[in-house]
Amino acid sequence: MPEINEISKIRRKVLTELAQMTFEGRLHSDVENILHTVVTEEGPRYRCCVHKERAVLQDRVKSALSQPMDISMTEAAGAALAGVISDSPIIQVLPVACDQCPLDRFIVTDACRNCLAHSCIASCPKKAISVVANRSFIDKTKCVECGLCKRSCPYGAIIEISRPCERACELGAIAAGKARKAVIDYTLCVHCGACKMACPFGAISDRSMIVQVIQQIKAGRRVYALLAPAFIGQFGIQVRPGQVLASLKKVGFHDTLEVSVGADAVAVEEAREFIERNREPKGKVMTTSCCPAFVGMVEKHLPAMKDNISSLVSPMVAAAMDVKKNDPEGIVVFVGPCIAKKSEAQRYPGIVDFVLTFEELATLIVGAGVNVTEMDAGSFASAGSKDGNIFARAGGVLQAVQNVLSQLAPDVELQAERCEGLGNCKKCLQEIEAGKRNANLFEGMACTGGCVGGPGVLTDSRITTKLVENFAGASPEKSAVANPKSEELIKLGLHRPHEQHKDSSAD
Amino acid sequence: MLIVEICMGTCCHLMGAQDLLDVLDALPADQRRLIEFKGVTCFKNCGKGPSVKINGNFLANATPELLFEVLQTNLQ
Repeated sequence: MPEINEISKIRRKVLTELAQMTFEGRLHSDVENILHTVVTEEGPRYRCCVHKERAVLQDRVKSALSQPMDISMTEAAGAALAGVISDSPIIQVLPVACDQCPLDRFIVTDACRNCLAHSCIASCPKKAISVVANRSFIDKTKCVECGLCKRSCPYGAIIEISRPCERACELGAIAAGKARKAVIDYTLCVHCGACKMACPFGAISDRSMIVQVIQQIKAGRRVYALLAPAFIGQFGIQVRPGQVLASLKKVGFHDTLEVSVGADAVAVEEAREFIERNREPKGKVMTTSCCPAFVGMVEKHLPAMKDNISSLVSPMVAAAMDVKKNDPEGIVVFVGPCIAKKSEAQRYPGIVDFVLTFEELATLIVGAGVNVTEMDAGSFASAGSKDGNIFARAGGVLQAVQNVLSQLAPDVELQAERCEGLGNCKKCLQEIEAGKRNANLFEGMACTGGCVGGPGVLTDSRITTKLVENFAGASPEKSAVANPKSEELIKLGLHRPHEQHKDSSAD
Repeated sequence: MLIVEICMGTCCHLMGAQDLLDVLDALPADQRRLIEFKGVTCFKNCGKGPSVKINGNFLANATPELLFEVLQTNLQ
């Protein structure tokens, strides 16, 4: 994660204020105040005027409330308080916020010297370049954006610019639409959040269920927080896991459980499926199934390889099923680094009730007036094994499954591959399928660094990776196989037929 | 000796307190030696974070650039 920028600050201020107002029971009456507390007359100013700034902010608030853009803020607050979650997409372009970045991909800069060679003119196959006002000029009506002129210029005077959102999306799911505003193609989008992180105007936002979660807590429901294993260090490098649990208790969560326990069960069962699939020689490659953006990429972009994905539910779903078995009335809130989990959860209604990012949870905690660093740490040891805990970092899932395999079937032939980034995953799987690369087990992670590098984290992924490693090593449970919880969860049936086959392409 | 207190509370953490800590760590060794860092859990100034105190002087809405500048002024 890069340094905290102004976009993150505005987003976090909005979420914190919404959380605080909800806890204090004044969201419906006071929501409009945000327009004056987050955007002040004195600035700082990022847009043309204070009015545009506030119009953008209204979009942000409605997205943070999980409400459509065409209702008023007060109506949106009322609906969110009533528990309504609109069926708008998880990630969307905020209509007013998109700055309609220019489309002209190749631009002649001041560095053009109007030289004699005119290699740009010579290189252009469409005869789109001429000299105007002592400088090369690209006629946009003829230009096909091939880029030959850029490469031909000996001064490097022609530059290529692209929209940050388009460049960030490795699946080609976002492009300029009418009036140059960005448009997401939801038949291709897997909700990884890369475009959101890339947009320098903060114009792409994932919707939040923070108010709806607070309402469940305030209604006295037994709300369970399920913490993804990447939670270590998210609330400050020095913060102890016990302090996070104590904070959640104080905020009003009934109990907090670690998703690493679900990860243990998934690692064991995934290893068993691998053994089963490799009974016949030359078994096809099996991929991991815990990263929802990766699974979405295979489903939408490599549909022929859909059956190569392991049939296991994700650790989130496994852990949620365990909660619902013990307390069917309980409300499950998964908290993780991931936006795509919000989309995955829609496939499991009644199992995963809400999804928050670490960022959203931290704003909820601050909104409740709780400071994690001032809580007592108490004693805390992970209920998940080392195997389950390292799911949080790239290579961890593979390592966990390999550890299980070495115990259950040391003789099974294993050729493992892994990739980070959806473009890399796609390319690598295509090569495996084409026989250019040998692998029978593949770990796919949408985010660089794995889950610790997700769009909803609060701490740099390189630091979190080390902290996760230390925490995993200190777990009293030595392996996924030895963890008694693994078999208990596997008995719940962790294969994906649970999934209600709702088409997520239109969500 | 310059006493630099940085609030590490959850509110300031959300606003980028960790980036301020990185400023201290990136200082040249001879300057870093002149600074005594103290982590604080809250200055009771939430909402104007990240908050820093340098020899008792309060700095609200601190950014890495701003902190660096103030440190350089104080170290001279």
